[in-house]
Amino acid sequence: MSVIAPKFRLGYFIKALLDNIFWAVVLLTLAGIPAIMILLFYIDLPIIDGQILTPFLAFTWMTHPEMSVPLVKAFMQTDFFRIAAFPGFGFGALLAAGVIFVERKMLAKLQLRVGPFYCGKVEGILQLMSDGIKLLTKEIIIPAKADKPIFWVAPLLFVGTAAAFVSLIPVAPKTVVADIDVGLLAVFAIIGFFPIITVLSSWSANSKYPFIGGIRALHQMISFEIPLILSLLGVVILTGTLNLSEIVESQATYWWIAFLPVGAIVFFIAMLAELERIPFDLPEAESEIVAGWLTEFSGMMYGLVQLGSYLKLYAFAGLFVVLFLGGWQGPMVWPPFPEEIVTEGITMGPVTAQIPGLPLFSQEMLNGTLWFILKTAAVIFFILLPRGVFPRIRIDLLLHVGWYRLIGLSFVNIFIALGLLYAGVLGPEGIL
Amino acid sequence: MSSADTTETKDTKKKRTRKPRTTKSKTKKSEEINPPAETTTTEITTPSEQEVAPALVEEIVPETEEKVETEDVVPQVDLPKFEKSLADKITQKFGSKAEVAYIKQNRIRINVKKEDIKDIALYIRDELNFDHAESVSGVDYPDAKKIEVVYHLGSYTDPELSKQILALATSAPREEDPNPGRDSTRLPSLREIFYSVEFHERECFEMLGVYFDGHPDNRRLLLPEDWADIPPLRKDFAIKGR
Amino acid sequence: MTTQLPPGLQLEKVDERIMTLNVGPQHPGSGHMRLIVQVDGDYIVACDPDPGYVHRGEEKMCEYRNYITNIPHLERPVIHDSCNILYPYCLAVEEILGLEVPERAKYVRVIASELNRCVYTMYWLAIYGIFLGHSTMFMWPMGDRELLIDLLEKITGARVTHAYFVPGGVRNDLPANFEDVCLRQVNYFEKRIKEYADIFYDNPILISRTENTGILSRQDAIRLGTTGSVLRASGVDFDIRKKEPYDVYENLDFQTNVLQSGDSYARSKIPWLDMFESCRIIRDALRKMPKSGSVRVKLKPNPKGGDVEVYRRVESGRGALGMHVISKSKPEPYRVKISVGSFRNLICIPYLLRGEKLGNMPAVYWSLNYWPVEADR
Repeated sequence: MSVIAPKFRLGYFIKALLDNIFWAVVLLTLAGIPAIMILLFYIDLPIIDGQILTPFLAFTWMTHPEMSVPLVKAFMQTDFFRIAAFPGFGFGALLAAGVIFVERKMLAKLQLRVGPFYCGKVEGILQLMSDGIKLLTKEIIIPAKADKPIFWVAPLLFVGTAAAFVSLIPVAPKTVVADIDVGLLAVFAIIGFFPIITVLSSWSANSKYPFIGGIRALHQMISFEIPLILSLLGVVILTGTLNLSEIVESQATYWWIAFLPVGAIVFFIAMLAELERIPFDLPEAESEIVAGWLTEFSGMMYGLVQLGSYLKLYAFAGLFVVLFLGGWQGPMVWPPFPEEIVTEGITMGPVTAQIPGLPLFSQEMLNGTLWFILKTAAVIFFILLPRGVFPRIRIDLLLHVGWYRLIGLSFVNIFIALGLLYAGVLGPEGIL
Repeated sequence: MSSADTTETKDTKKKRTRKPRTTKSKTKKSEEINPPAETTTTEITTPSEQEVAPALVEEIVPETEEKVETEDVVPQVDLPKFEKSLADKITQKFGSKAEVAYIKQNRIRINVKKEDIKDIALYIRDELNFDHAESVSGVDYPDAKKIEVVYHLGSYTDPELSKQILALATSAPREEDPNPGRDSTRLPSLREIFYSVEFHERECFEMLGVYFDGHPDNRRLLLPEDWADIPPLRKDFAIKGR
Repeated sequence: MTTQLPPGLQLEKVDERIMTLNVGPQHPGSGHMRLIVQVDGDYIVACDPDPGYVHRGEEKMCEYRNYITNIPHLERPVIHDSCNILYPYCLAVEEILGLEVPERAKYVRVIASELNRCVYTMYWLAIYGIFLGHSTMFMWPMGDRELLIDLLEKITGARVTHAYFVPGGVRNDLPANFEDVCLRQVNYFEKRIKEYADIFYDNPILISRTENTGILSRQDAIRLGTTGSVLRASGVDFDIRKKEPYDVYENLDFQTNVLQSGDSYARSKIPWLDMFESCRIIRDALRKMPKSGSVRVKLKPNPKGGDVEVYRRVESGRGALGMHVISKSKPEPYRVKISVGSFRNLICIPYLLRGEKLGNMPAVYWSLNYWPVEADR
């Protein structure tokens, strides 16, 4: 029960609101609009729909919703939108938020409890938001003897690296932030950054538990990166490419998991270890080393690390889907865009608005995105499931699994792939 | 002094005090329905007939050893046999060094001097098969100027002894102005003989200021490191407000 | 700073290679105590338990209160097992005062103490689960524990701190229709704890983590004077309910569980197996209990005992729990020494953790069935 401040008057409240609105309008007219005008006159304006985007045109489009579609389309083609919103960071963060919600509710159901319930009226869907606001309002405490620049920058680096990883995952045909020919190598390179960030942050915190956690994370990540990379070589051998979009396109008829199940299993286990999920959450084992390398993070720094780790989870699940489950491939289930909206316009009450340039997304892209999200959700479900079933493993058992079992199995996987290639079953000149 | 006949049964006192108290009809009824439980536990019959004079009870305080020696006139009839045989073994071996304070059902108490406690403990461990200490309680007697330490010894290995508890008591001189670890309140440690007394003796050291010579690790255990008062379980340490 | 420190104090040594960790008391893996762990990499070189964070001086408090007012505060050291910690006190005071407990009260005591033992064990098991990173094993026992807490609430009126046992019986009789409810809940409880085998005790990761870690051999278990589940996991068949039966345990049908391996897995399994025996005892006691009768001897106000000393012990959830009560013809006891199983098992911690991996620390430490608050008293 919140208590209203004793001096509260509704009149004061309304007056404060009106004051704010007044000052916003004044500042906008006196400073904002001139600034926009100056900006628009001095930058190189793009050509949209065959005509140059003059300030006049821009204002016209802004104020006429039915004419703003080309602007939106042009904006969606910009690198900024791709990185920050759709196939990149924003999309990943949205999925990560969904993952956190599903994880909480699913774990609660497994453990015969309710889970988040009150925040947001419906099954506690706003719990994550309130947690985020709580983290934002928390004080950030930094250890006195910490190496402050590194300590500050470590969570940002972590999120940034995770976002870079996300940017390599193709979500739908031609919908990827960075469609590069060495996509898989870039993935390996980015994965290689995580242990460095972890060790940097744990070392710079100058505290005992983060140090042990960081060293554990280093051991774990390095020993599991080798089977992780080796297990993907089978796919590369069979497809002959490192481009992730091309790997997806090569799975139009069959998924690689049908031929390389060993590689898929090895990759899945190595992925769990890379993600520090139970049963491999040794770097954050709370009963041994408090919170591992996250111990000294507080407030939004901790929130950023959590965001980064869930982005990483989404990216790994997406990578699994891309490599083994056929990416966006799937039967066309998305309904076609109704043509009459383009030709006749949308009738809303008495007004009929004809909006040229629709639809914003093609049917293939939407269908691909849908399938990709469905498959990713399935993989994420299997990533989350061990948390309710398994206890934490021990470091020597973990390293034993990594070095003895998984590396051996990934070599088996490579031999399977080579066998399939040289037998002529699969590959560039294969019979399938 | 033969301590076998200086012993006193405390079982009798239980029955003695029960009789005046069972005037309530409820309790009587329940007794008629169900016999007391402990009669079935052992082969020893509880001596219910014997009435001990109330004055006697005060004289057989286990701590006041001198008094026990004087009152060896009471006939001891129903001492539990097995416990008596155990106590007899000790008294035969050590004679007057070991003084049996009481023999009750499943419980024996032996008072020894602190010079002899290591020999007797060694004998108890090696010959009588008591292999561990259940508890070490220190008791402060400011009037008698001594601090008594009672080792409750039990046995896991010998099934016959599994229900027995042998209380081996010794006492250290008590000083009015305690300086734990540096005054004369010292006892030989039994940790070499019964490894399990290690933490119990540490606790006894900090709670009563009894320094155990030969204990490898005489540090504070439960109290804070900066505890600067007298040992708190001494009787002259008063709780605030009491 | 002089080099001569008073006994009881020590300076921390700083080593280049050995790192000293203060595990606790503000640590998710310690409970209300501190373990000073020295690690060389991921291996524990030495471990020094430092209890006393929640020391409340129960023994001193006992000397100021009379035999009856000692009851509510004596159960504080282990509120989850409050019936069992009051049990030896009540037995000792009954011996001092010469009280004879009615037959029905003895059965009621057995039922309450077995229920309470299960409640404690479930709490312990939940924490063992979360110490091993198994969050489901944390939630399930916490939830199933409520079944028995409800039963105890029906009997005693309180969920955890019951203050139910009094010298001369129990505080009040069982409520009407208790037996049916109790049977139903206990049967369901037994069905539930059977499922723990699937998710916890047969889990391959759990077995690989806890087997062959922290092995306490039979000789060492005896030499260190351990008790309870630690002792029985090392192959010593010692249960005070069997060896020195108090109240009506000799009439009841149950067995003690003994495992031979002496590792963390066996130590964690024994309390779980004991819960099945507890269910058996409760069912048997409900069957054999006199259906009516007094449950309490009326006491005089401020009862006085003679000049006697009594040592009584029972089997609590954490092993033997003995009380050494010395009476000096006063309403207050002269001295009450509580010898608890947790304190006796504490000696195993430095012994078992030396040379273990840091990851084994919670698995070994909590398998000792150690309740820090009880050890501190």
